[in-house]
Amino acid sequence: MPQAFDAQNPPFDRLSHDEIGTLRAAIDIGYFPPGETVIAAGQRSEHLHVVIKGRVAERDGDTLESGLGPKDTFDARSLVHGPAGTTFVAAEETLCYLLPKAVVLDLIGRNPGFAAFFYSEISRKLRSYERRDHEGVDSTLRAHVREVRFRPAVFVDGSTTLHDAGQIMQDRNNNTLFVRDGDRVGIVTGANLAKAFVVDRKPLEAPVREVCHFEVVSIGLDDFVFAAVIAMTRHNKRRLAIRGEGGYVGVLEDIDILGLVAGNPQLIPGQIEQARAPADLKSCALDIQSQVERLHRQGARVEVIAEITSDLNRRLFAKLFDMIAPPSIRENGCLMVMGSEGRGEQTVRTDQDNGLLLARPVPEEDLAAFRTAFSGALESFGFPPCPGDVMVKNPRWSQPADDFLVQVEGWIRSPAEDGPMNLGIFFDAVSVTGHPELLDRAKTAMIDMMRGETAYLARFARAIDLFAGASAGMLTSFMASVGVGSDEIDVKKSGTFPIVHGVRTLAIDQGIREVSTARRIDALAEAGLFGADLGRELSSALSYFMEIRLRAQLAAIATGRRERESIVRLGELTTRDRDLLRDALRVVKRFREIVRNRYHLSVF
Amino acid sequence: MRSEILRRSRALFDRMLLADNAYAFLFEPDETGEVVSLDCETSGFNILADDVISIAAIKIRGNRILTSETFRALIRPGAAMDVSAIKVHQLREADVKLGRTIREVMPEFLRFIGSRPLVGYWVSFDVRMINKYLFGMLNINLPNRQYDVSELYYERKYGKAPPGTEIDLRYAAIAEDLSVPMLPQHDAFNDALVAAQMYVILRDMQKRNVRIPRQRTAPRAGDFSV
Repeated sequence: MPQAFDAQNPPFDRLSHDEIGTLRAAIDIGYFPPGETVIAAGQRSEHLHVVIKGRVAERDGDTLESGLGPKDTFDARSLVHGPAGTTFVAAEETLCYLLPKAVVLDLIGRNPGFAAFFYSEISRKLRSYERRDHEGVDSTLRAHVREVRFRPAVFVDGSTTLHDAGQIMQDRNNNTLFVRDGDRVGIVTGANLAKAFVVDRKPLEAPVREVCHFEVVSIGLDDFVFAAVIAMTRHNKRRLAIRGEGGYVGVLEDIDILGLVAGNPQLIPGQIEQARAPADLKSCALDIQSQVERLHRQGARVEVIAEITSDLNRRLFAKLFDMIAPPSIRENGCLMVMGSEGRGEQTVRTDQDNGLLLARPVPEEDLAAFRTAFSGALESFGFPPCPGDVMVKNPRWSQPADDFLVQVEGWIRSPAEDGPMNLGIFFDAVSVTGHPELLDRAKTAMIDMMRGETAYLARFARAIDLFAGASAGMLTSFMASVGVGSDEIDVKKSGTFPIVHGVRTLAIDQGIREVSTARRIDALAEAGLFGADLGRELSSALSYFMEIRLRAQLAAIATGRRERESIVRLGELTTRDRDLLRDALRVVKRFREIVRNRYHLSVF
Repeated sequence: MRSEILRRSRALFDRMLLADNAYAFLFEPDETGEVVSLDCETSGFNILADDVISIAAIKIRGNRILTSETFRALIRPGAAMDVSAIKVHQLREADVKLGRTIREVMPEFLRFIGSRPLVGYWVSFDVRMINKYLFGMLNINLPNRQYDVSELYYERKYGKAPPGTEIDLRYAAIAEDLSVPMLPQHDAFNDALVAAQMYVILRDMQKRNVRIPRQRTAPRAGDFSV
């Protein structure tokens, strides 16, 4: 058959040359006029369809599930698992390759890589794709020296003793000092000092001008990083002086460049540790943020990125707390982070979600000063304030634990709109510093109040339908592909949130104290609320949503349009991604049904 | 309509002249309901002097293009190949030497198409090319009905067009207008396949009475320069 049949298009790229030959010989082409049903729900399909041109709508009853375009494949499930669950209708003049069922089944039996595509478990599908979409390090080498995080220059006089020089290195955590000696400027490093003592047996009181060297290799602030790499190689140096407008401004080390290319999250805790004032933490906060992009570029899995990021953020918060909190609060308080930050599913920095529990009342002026200072400092680091006002600044979220519990009870029992969301955010809290037992006690009390109270749980669970526009989202997306409306889908609303909130509800119901969604899912599967299969699929779907959301977020940052951070345009996705997204949304839908049935949400 | 009457009378006449009764099936009424998309690559565009060097035919049943049931043949020409034609379809003499003679291929081809109507882009050229050999073998011309996709396209797009409308029936223009993906051209199979896709779309448009919109383009300056 047609050479034109694209064997590079997944999943066919996994077939061997001979297998492609077999397949090609068996393919027909079908034409479907607009409105014609290609596969009816409840029917078995005799073919696997691959769209050549046109559009096919996948419908479930009256709701539109998705739109399929050229190179999309359908319906793998009805071919392998039996009757189709949804109806496929041609939305415009559509040509499809028709791959006979018998041939496809035969290939599935022979080729495991190909087979993986057809088993709807998204996790296996994800694993069967290797990551190909890496961006290179080229862009890094074309960065300017000023974009690298280098050490600022520290100057000493030529007459400084070796002992003092060593002390300054120690204090400033800087292994390289500039030495001013008359008109000359030289450089001395820790290694120079060591050599002076160990090899040359210099006395501690010797002036530093005797051991420094004055032939300084330097590079300009606006030079390219690759020029720095070349200079290091040519002069066999591990560090270069950086020239600014008024003389030397800093030192560029090879490790700094490595950090720019590879990301060096391991260095950040040290920086946080050494911060002396809140202002020092700002650069750490920026570093944490830039790690995300680098780790992503290196191909780190999104869960790993999230784990590193939340660990670093927590250290930062703890350090800030230690700096700002007066003794009364430090001794009695428990600083907690909540929401996605608490679950450790945060990558790109989103809103502040933090709070403070106190063991006993503290002087009001201490508390007031701390509230403004803490939230203000975070805001100045670039953590935007939480639109729901879930932050230390808000007295509701920074009060004695006993008063807070009264508040929690109010959220549970009163029909106010914001109750369920506040409870959800609090249920995801983890303690960052201070007395973790305060948080533990508050959470236990909350779970005890809610467990077994079906009506409260149902009200809580109902938020899962908050953005029940998942299908509608797909509808607009489909409309867009035929030229109406937009082809955008909000991954957070239609993907991440329903999973996170549904799992959260079930976790309260079961008194599960794990915080991360993945761990909760495991615990719920173990408790038998759903099968291990669905559990695996949920975790994979969540991780997939996080992955494409991260991409959208990085794009939003790059374009400076923060409001678009969870918007994914279907037209910009590859066929493979669209396919995975479709499967992941199906998992969400199934899960939503489980939650709805359990809490009889359909009666609302 | 007139050409259809002519074709039928010509067919009746040919039926009488048919040299070998084994091929009477060519004149039986078609009962399959199928059509065949046909394309030949030739060594040049002169029907008398040039040769067919490859033939591809694909059956179309209803809305389905049966690419799994195709006829393809490379033909060893009697005459040497024209250099300009080699450039067009990139079949060198060395390639077609592997082929069979048209005498060997023809019976198989005729059995494949039967009395099904033939479809193609400028299909009358292909048919005349084949007739050149057929007449020598069986004393007849192909009696099959012909559907030219450019004619179907003309009817859907330019039928009832006001005089002076710029008419574009180029193969690439039709493919673009119907958004049929273009395949590497000048390969008999690919050309037959693209024509088949055009055919199913155009025939469906006829059935649904959908017309192809004409763009009213302003005359370009260049149009007047020649």
